[in-house]
Amino acid sequence: MNRAEATRLLCERLHDEVVVANLGQATTELQHAADRALNCYTFGAMGQCSSLALGIALARPDVRVVSLDGDGSLLMNLGVLTTVATQAPKNLAIVVWDNEVHMTTGGQPTATAFRTSLAGVARGAGIEKVLEPADYEELALAFDRMLSEEGPFFVQVKVDKGYAEGAIFRDLIRYKLRFMDALAAQGRHDRGSG
Amino acid sequence: MADPEWSKHLADGLRRNDIRFYATVPDFIVSQVLEHLWRDDECTVVTAAREEEGLGILSGAYLAGRRGALLMQNSGLGSCVNTLASLNFATQIPVVMVLSHRGDINEYNPAQVPMGQAAEGILQALGVRYITPHTVEELEAQLDGLIKLAYTRSLPVAVLLPNDLTGGRYS
Repeated sequence: MNRAEATRLLCERLHDEVVVANLGQATTELQHAADRALNCYTFGAMGQCSSLALGIALARPDVRVVSLDGDGSLLMNLGVLTTVATQAPKNLAIVVWDNEVHMTTGGQPTATAFRTSLAGVARGAGIEKVLEPADYEELALAFDRMLSEEGPFFVQVKVDKGYAEGAIFRDLIRYKLRFMDALAAQGRHDRGSG
Repeated sequence: MADPEWSKHLADGLRRNDIRFYATVPDFIVSQVLEHLWRDDECTVVTAAREEEGLGILSGAYLAGRRGALLMQNSGLGSCVNTLASLNFATQIPVVMVLSHRGDINEYNPAQVPMGQAAEGILQALGVRYITPHTVEELEAQLDGLIKLAYTRSLPVAVLLPNDLTGGRYS
C-alpha cells in the first residue's frame, strides 16, 4: 500500500480524534493530507511517538488517540508496547507504517525486512486487538474498527518504500501551542477538573 | 542520619504543586516516594520499561493538561538524554525529574560509580536546573521554587537526591 493514500484514508474518517505523527515521513504526510489542530506532530526524540500518544490517552480518557508510528522508530522503543498492554487505554490505537526501511536516512533495511513481525511483538506484549490489513479494503475496515471499538489497538500496515511528497513544516512551538489549545477546548463542557 | 520522613515530604511537595501524573522505572530509593503515590487514588503512576519512555508519556500528559514527574535512578538519566534535548527542550515541555543519586559517597557497586559521578555534568550540559537537598529542611525550602521555575520557563528540572537525605543504599 501507499502510505500517503493510507494516510488520506485515515483522515477521511477523523472527527475529533487526536493524531500523533512520527517524525519524518508520517508527520510530513499528515501535514499535507489534513493539517488539523488536533494533530500532534513530532520532529525529534525518535521512538517516542507512541509514548506521547499513550500519555495523551491516559491523561484524556475522553478523547480517542491515534499514533502514526514507523517501524524504525517503534523498534527503538518496543518497551512501549508492554506499557500500552499493561495500562490498556481503551482510547488508544497505534498504527505503524511498516516500510521495512529507515526511509528518512536513505532506505537502510530494518529488522522487519527480515524475521521480525511488529504485529507479533505487539501480541507478545499483550495487546489483544492486533490487525494486519493486507489491502485498502481491509485497511478501511481496520480504521473503522479502531475509531469505534474499545482499544487498545495495534494496526500494522505494510507500506511501500518512498519519501513523503512536499515540504515538512517545522514550526514546533506554534504547532505545540495550537495542539494544546485545541485539546483543552475539546470536551471542556462535560469534563471535571481532572 | 537521614530523616525517615524524607519520602513523605517529597511526595507531599510534588502533590501540593499539582503533580499527580507520574512515570517511573523504580529503584530502592525512589520506591520509598512511590509508596506514598501508589496509595493515593488521585495519582496516576505508570511504570515504564525504560526511563526515556517515561519522558514521552509525561510529555504527552503535559500536552493534555497534566503536570508530570519522572521518578528514577540517576542511571536512567543516561537513557533520557536525547529525549530531554530533542523533545522537552526543543519543544519546551516541562517535566520534574526525581533522581536517586547512586554512585556517589558510600557507593558499594563499582558499576554505579561512573554514571553517578557524571550525573551533575549531564544535567549541566543540557541546561537542566536542579537541586541537591541534603536535608528535609533544604528539600522543603527549595522544591516549590524549583517546580515553579519548570512551569515558568516550560523546561525540565531535576531533584537529585543525595544519600544524606535518603539514607542511600549501602549493600
